[in-house]
Amino acid sequence: MTAHRLLAPPPPVAGRILDAQLHLLDRQVLDHDGVPVTTVDDLEVSGPALDTELEPGAAAPVLSALLTGPVLGTRIFGGRPPASRLVRIPWEDVAEVGVVLKLGVSGENLDAGWVERWIRDRIIARIPGGRHDPR
Amino acid sequence: MILGDLLGVDVYNDDGTRLGRVADARFVVDGAPRQLLAEARLLGLVVSPHSASSFLGYERTGLQQPWPLPSLLRWRHRGSFLVLWEDIAMIGAKSVRLREGYTAYSPALDSSGP
Repeated sequence: MTAHRLLAPPPPVAGRILDAQLHLLDRQVLDHDGVPVTTVDDLEVSGPALDTELEPGAAAPVLSALLTGPVLGTRIFGGRPPASRLVRIPWEDVAEVGVVLKLGVSGENLDAGWVERWIRDRIIARIPGGRHDPR
Repeated sequence: MILGDLLGVDVYNDDGTRLGRVADARFVVDGAPRQLLAEARLLGLVVSPHSASSFLGYERTGLQQPWPLPSLLRWRHRGSFLVLWEDIAMIGAKSVRLREGYTAYSPALDSSGP
């Protein structure tokens, strides 16, 4: 703790600081209408190549996508699902980072919500009264 | 690279001394402008000598409530530091190696931090 207090602050940067664990991971994701889409289970970064010596001055990797997917089992038992099972939401679609992450696009067209859409269209819609709002 | 694979990985300095584990990755939204937000580039890694991950981030903020959580969590994450991307020599599947003469910065998120 004492040594911690002596550390110098990092050089100032112009943009907003986002710590992955504190500001992004496990946050809820809403689409541009405020409809919940998913949560952020993991993040995809554009690089670097693993186990490769980094050249001094190499460009820093950037955040390329939010990842979501079937992580309940791996949260309990460890590990993570294969990358092919994770659904990507490109960082370009993210409009705002706050208590929740807001997207600038509609969630209706995102792969992240396909399970919910499938249940809505194939199961809920077949239940009498399931095609309209409750009255 | 999937960031979850990097969190919790051991961090070593250039002579092989273990410094801790990757507790978090810090990004800064100042890259190439996009339609909504600019690109978020990796600014550096938060390394924690005593814990495998960060919890609630009290070691990076000046929050004092609710007692006694801040004190306990700051003690658990004591010695955490931020190392910038420029000081990282290699990122591997099982370890991260820093460059010779790397600089450990305070992980505080703002001037009110510890």
